[in-house]
Amino acid sequence: MAKPKKEVISIQNISKIYNLGDTVVKALDDVSLSIYENDFISITGPSGSGKSTLMNIIGCLDVPSLGVYKFNNELISKMNDSQLANIRNEKIGFVFQTFNLLPKLTSLQNVEVPLIYSSLGKTKRLERSKEALNIVGLSDRMTHKPNELSGGQRQRVAIARALVNKPSIILADEPTGNLDSKSGTEILKFFDELHKAGNTLIIVTHEESVAKRAKRRVKIFDGKIASDE
Amino acid sequence: MVRLHLMNNIFKNILIGMAAIRANLTRVILTSLGLTIGIFTVSIVTAGVSSIDREFDKSMEYYGNDKVYVGTWPWSFDFDWWKYRNRPKVKENSLDFISQYSEYITAASIKKNTWTRASFGNKSSWLQLNGVYPEYQDMLSGTKVVNGRFFSQNEWDLQRRVIIVGGTVRDGFFDGKDPIGKKIRLNNVTFEIIGELKKQGMGMVPGGTLDNLVIMPSTTFKRILTRWGFDELVLQTNPEDMAKAKEEVAMIMRVARKIKPGQDDNFSVNSADAYQEQFDSLKIIIAGMGFLVTGISLVVSAIGIMNVMFVSVRERTKEIGLRKAMGATNNNILVQFLSEAVAISIIGGSTGILLVKLITLALANTLPVEFDLVLIFYTFMVCVFIGVTAGMIPARTAAKLNPIDALRHE
Repeated sequence: MAKPKKEVISIQNISKIYNLGDTVVKALDDVSLSIYENDFISITGPSGSGKSTLMNIIGCLDVPSLGVYKFNNELISKMNDSQLANIRNEKIGFVFQTFNLLPKLTSLQNVEVPLIYSSLGKTKRLERSKEALNIVGLSDRMTHKPNELSGGQRQRVAIARALVNKPSIILADEPTGNLDSKSGTEILKFFDELHKAGNTLIIVTHEESVAKRAKRRVKIFDGKIASDE
Repeated sequence: MVRLHLMNNIFKNILIGMAAIRANLTRVILTSLGLTIGIFTVSIVTAGVSSIDREFDKSMEYYGNDKVYVGTWPWSFDFDWWKYRNRPKVKENSLDFISQYSEYITAASIKKNTWTRASFGNKSSWLQLNGVYPEYQDMLSGTKVVNGRFFSQNEWDLQRRVIIVGGTVRDGFFDGKDPIGKKIRLNNVTFEIIGELKKQGMGMVPGGTLDNLVIMPSTTFKRILTRWGFDELVLQTNPEDMAKAKEEVAMIMRVARKIKPGQDDNFSVNSADAYQEQFDSLKIIIAGMGFLVTGISLVVSAIGIMNVMFVSVRERTKEIGLRKAMGATNNNILVQFLSEAVAISIIGGSTGILLVKLITLALANTLPVEFDLVLIFYTFMVCVFIGVTAGMIPARTAAKLNPIDALRHE
C-alpha cells in the first residue's frame, strides 16, 4: 500500500452566490472536492455550469460565499486581498486560453513577472526565468516578444511563467482553446510531461479530447459536481 | 531587513511604471506640457521677483534710507501732474531756514540736476550732472570716492571746473585707465577729473545708478550749465528719525514759503520709501499675476494627468488583471500607477526648469534674473505633490480592480 498522497486542495461544501437584485444565482451549490499532490484533473462542463467560478475560487482569484477552502492546509476562504495575492504568487501557476502575455515584454521578461512580486533578487529572478524557459524548450526565444512567436510558443512561454515560481498547482483555463490542433496536441503532451515530473495539474476545458488526457475527470453541471472519476 | 524588502518592492513597481512612460512617450510629453508651463511661470516669477528685490535694494542705496529730498515734484503721484506743474522752483535759500530751525537734519546740500553731452577726444556720451556743496561728500549714499578726492570748499568758492565722475567714464572714455587728472568736455567746457566714484552696476529705479554721474561744485554748475534742469535739497538725517524729519522739514518749508494754514504745500518732501511703496505694489502685481497663471496651469495640468492616467488604467485593465493573478497586491498596482503619474509630472516640471535655466543663461547679461537650487528643489516637491494628487484616484481605481473582471476585459 502506497503512502497516501498529500492533499493540496480541500474544498468543503462551497457555495458561490450572486445576488442580482431580485434573483439569487447560485453559481456553485454545495461543492466538495479534494485535490492531491501530482493529480492531473480536468474540470469540464457546459458554459454557465459554474466551472469558471470553481476555477476562480481554486485559483484564489475569488472567495466562496459559503464553505471552507483550504490550500496546503491554509484556510483561504477568510483571507484578505494581499494574502490571496501572496498565495497566487507562490502557490499557483496560471495558464490562460488567450496566453495573456504582456506584449511589450520579451519572453524572458514575461516569465519573470510573477517573480517581480516575490522577494527574489534580480540575478536569482533571471536565473529562475531562464530555467523555466529551458523546461518549455524556448531557451533560444528569450529575447523575442510575443508577436514574434507562434501561438504554441506563446502558450509555452505562458506555461514557463506558470512554472517559474515552482507552484503547488498549475491551473490551466482552456489552454488549447486558441491553438490549432497540432500546437494544441504539443501543449497537451507537454502537460503529460509536467504531470510525470510530479506537478499537480488542473485543466478546465470543454473539449472532450483534452479532458480525456487527465487522470481524473470532474464534470460540473448546474453548480454541482455531476461526476468525479 | 523587512524595510529593505519593502523598499525593493516599491522600487520594482516604480520600474514597471517607468516602462509605461517609455512606451507612451508622446502622450506623456503632451500631458506634461501643462506642468512645464506652470513650473516655467512660477520659476520665472519667483526668480524675477527676488532678482527685482535685490536690484531694487541696490538702487535704493542711491537715494539712501537716511536722506530727505525736497523738490518741486513728488516722486510718486497718480495722473494729477497738473497740480505740481506750476509750483515754484526750489531755492537754495530754503536751506538756510532748514539748517537754522531743524532738529533732525544733520547735513544739507543743494543738488542741481541736468544731463549733458560729455566728450573726450572723439568719444562722447550723455552724462547726468549734479551740482552740490562740498558737504555732499559725506552725504554720498551707496557709493564713495574710491579714487582721487572730492572738491574742496575753496574750489566751490572759486567755481573751479573740477568734477568727480562715476564708473562709466573710466571705461567709456579712458579704456579702463585711471581718469584722475584727465580733462573732459561737458557742454563744451573743459573740466578736470579729480575724483572717481565706486562702480555700481545696473539698477532698477529711474536714474538709479551713479555710474553715469558727474558731480561738481554747485557754483560751477550755476555758472556754466544754465540750461534746463531742476534743483533739489538733499537733507541728511538718521534713518530712525526719517518720519519726524520729513514732517519737520515740511513745516519749515511752509514757514519759509509763507504758506497759510489750510493751503496746500507747493513743494514735495520725498524719500526712498516712496519708491519702496510703488515698488511693493508692482511686486505684488507681478507675483499675483504669476501665481494666478501658475495656479491655473497647475490645476489644469493635474486634471490632464488624471485624465491620461484613467486612460492608462483602462488600456491596461487586462494587464492589471494578469499582474494580480500573478501575485501583485493592490499596493503593488497602486505604486505602479502612482509612479507613472509622478513621472509624467516630474518630466513636465524638469522641462519647465530646463527652459527657465536656458532663458536665464541667455539673458544673464541683459536682465538681472537669478536662478537657484532651492527653486529646483521646491519645483521637484511640487511635481511630486501634483503627480501623487492627480494619480491617486486613477491608481486606486486600478488597485481595486477585481482580477477576474480585469482579466476578462478586452
